[in-house]
Amino acid sequence: MSAVQAIASPVTSSGRRLAIRLRPGRMVLNVVLALIAIFWMVPTISLLVISLRPSSSYGVSGWWTVFTDPAQLTLQNYKALFSTGFATGGILDSVITTALITVPATLLVTAISSLAAYSLVFGRWRGRTFVFLLIVGLLVVPVQVALIPVAQLYDAFFNLTGLHVYATLPGVVIFHVAFGLPFGIFLMRNFYTGIPKDLLEAGRIDGAGEWTLFRRVVLPLGLPAAASLAIFQFIWVWNDLLVGLVFLGGNAHHTLTIYLFSFTRTLSNDYWVIATGGIISILVPLAIFFAFQRYFVRGVLAGAVK
Amino acid sequence: MSRVVLKDLTKRYAGGNLAVDRLNLEVGDGEFVCLVGPSGCGKTTALRMIAGLEDISSGQVLIGEKVVNLLPPRDRDIALVFQSYALYPHMSVYDNMAFGLQLRKTPKPQIETAVRQAARILDLERFLDRKPGQLSGGQRQRVALGRAIVREPAAFLMDEPLSNLDAKLRVQTRAEIARLHQRLKATMIYVTHDQVEAMTMADRIAVISEGVLQQVGTPKDLYEKPDNRFVAGFIGSPSMNFVELKVEADRGSRLVGDGAQVVLDDAQRARLRDLGLTTATVGFRPEHLRVGELEGPGLRLDAKIDVVEFLGNDELIHAVSEGKDVVAIVEADARLTVGDSVVLSADPRHVYLFNPQTDLSLSAG
Repeated sequence: MSAVQAIASPVTSSGRRLAIRLRPGRMVLNVVLALIAIFWMVPTISLLVISLRPSSSYGVSGWWTVFTDPAQLTLQNYKALFSTGFATGGILDSVITTALITVPATLLVTAISSLAAYSLVFGRWRGRTFVFLLIVGLLVVPVQVALIPVAQLYDAFFNLTGLHVYATLPGVVIFHVAFGLPFGIFLMRNFYTGIPKDLLEAGRIDGAGEWTLFRRVVLPLGLPAAASLAIFQFIWVWNDLLVGLVFLGGNAHHTLTIYLFSFTRTLSNDYWVIATGGIISILVPLAIFFAFQRYFVRGVLAGAVK
Repeated sequence: MSRVVLKDLTKRYAGGNLAVDRLNLEVGDGEFVCLVGPSGCGKTTALRMIAGLEDISSGQVLIGEKVVNLLPPRDRDIALVFQSYALYPHMSVYDNMAFGLQLRKTPKPQIETAVRQAARILDLERFLDRKPGQLSGGQRQRVALGRAIVREPAAFLMDEPLSNLDAKLRVQTRAEIARLHQRLKATMIYVTHDQVEAMTMADRIAVISEGVLQQVGTPKDLYEKPDNRFVAGFIGSPSMNFVELKVEADRGSRLVGDGAQVVLDDAQRARLRDLGLTTATVGFRPEHLRVGELEGPGLRLDAKIDVVEFLGNDELIHAVSEGKDVVAIVEADARLTVGDSVVLSADPRHVYLFNPQTDLSLSAG
C-alpha cells in the first residue's frame, strides 16, 4: 500500500482518487466481481458464439475453439433464418407476433397501473386500503391455475357475443395485462405514496383538475417507477412461453418462444436455430433496457419539499 | 383583493374529534391577520378550510362577498404558501411560478411579465431556469412566495412558511414578507405557532387554543389586555409568570401567599367579592419585574434565585417563589448570584388577575 501511495502522492486530487482505487483490498474485490460477472455471462456468450459458427460444426468441436480459431465465425445462420422472410411461422413473423403482444401488454399495464395507483393514493374514496390489499393478494395467484378458467371464460364470451378471443392476439394481450396489473399497481402505488401530498394540494390551488394533476405532476414524478415497470413487464411478456402456448393454440402466427420451443422438440440437429433465434430474441429486451435505463434516476423528488 | 369572513367555522372529524369549534373571524381587505396557537390547536385546519383543501363540517367561509364552502380550491381565488414549499421538483423555477397562470389559460406574454416581475421583487431572476433541487431553503421559500404572487389572488394564505428556515434566514424572510404585504396591500392570513412572528408581522392576531378562538386583537392589545390566562401566557417571551394567591381573610384588600402579596384596588376588590372568589391567579411578565421593594400598591414577591442566564445587556433570572418557577429579566449589573434571596416587585398596571376557575381575566374592561 505504501508503494502505491508513494507513486500517487506527488499528483493532484485525481491522482489521490487513483490511489484509493488501487488499494489491494479493492483490487481483490474487483477481480472477484469481474470473475463472477464473466462466469454469469458464459451461457450467453456461448449462445452468441454458437450462433456465429457454421451449423455443421456443432458436435464436431466445442464453441470455445473460436478463441484459438476466430476464422470459423460466420453470419450464415442468421442468413438462413432470415431467408424465409415474413412467411407465416418464420422467425420474422414470430418477432412481429411477439411485438404485437408485448407492446400493447406493456403499454396497457403501465398506463392502467399508473392511473389505478393515482386513485389508490390520492383519491378520496372509502375502502382504498382494502382494495389495495385485495390487489396485493392477487400477486400470489400463480398463472398456471388461471389458464383453464380464463380459457373457459373466453369460450363463454364467444358463446355470448360470437366474438373470438381465444387463439387471437388480443386474447393473449388481455391475459398478460390481467396478470401484470397486480404487480404494476403494487409498484406504482408504493412509489406514489412517496410523492408529498402537498404537491397535489398546491396543484389543486394552482387550478389543476385530477387529470391535469396526474399528467403534469404525478406522472412526471413517477417516471422512474413507470420505466422500471415497463421494462419488467416487457421482458416478462417477451419471454413468456406458457401463456402464448395455451392462448394462441391454433393460431398460425407464433411467438418467438413458441418458435424456438418447436425446435427443441425435434430430434434433428437444430441447435443452431435455437442459438441464433435465442440471440435475436435477447436483442429486443436488451435494447429496451438500455433505452429506458436513463429514467432510473434517483432523487427526482429532491427540492419538492424540505 | 378582498376580505375573508369566517362564520361559525367548524371542523369535526369522523371520530368526533373537534378540530375547529365555531370560529368567527373577519379579515379586512388588505389586512394581515395571524392565526396563532400551539401545535394541534386547529389553526392549520382552519386555514385549509379557507383554502378548500379540507371539508367544512359547519359554518361558512366568505371570500369577497361570496360563500365559497362548496367551491373547489381553484375557484376560490386564493393562493397558499405551504410549510414544505411544495414546489414541483420536475419544473424550473419559472414553470413553478407560471403553472397556475398556464392552467388558467393566461396569454403567454402576460405570464412572462407576471413571472419576471415577481422574480424581480423576490430577487429570483438569476434562478428562473433552475430546478427547485438546486436552490437553498430560503430561495425555495421565495419561489413559493413567487408562485402565490403571480396569481394576484384575492387573499394569500400562509401555513407556517418560515418554520423550515434557520433562525437568521427566518428573521430576514419575516421582514421580506412584511415588506411584501406593504407593497401588495394584499389580504393575508398567516398561520404560525411562533408568537414572535405573529407579533412582528400581523395587523391583528387571532389566538386559538384547542380549536377555540381565544382572543382577536392588535399585537399591542393582546400583550397589554389579554382576555384570559391562555392568551396572557402565550403572547410575550419569556412567558408570563403565574402564581395563585389567597384573598386576605379580614378585609379582602390584599392577595397573599407565603412570601407574596398584591395590594388590590377598589375595583379589583369588588370584582373578587362579586364573584365570591377566595383565591385568584396572579400574572406578571418577566420584563415588568424589578428587584427591590416598590412604593405603594402592586406586587411584591420573596424569591430565592435558582438560575441566572446572562444575555448581554440583561440577565434572565429563574427564581423560586410560592413554590413556582418565576422568571424575571433584570439588568445585568444587578449582580445577582444563585442562592440569593431577593424581593421582586411589579407596578400595579403590570399585574394581571385571572379567575382561577374560568381562567378569564378579572381586570376591569
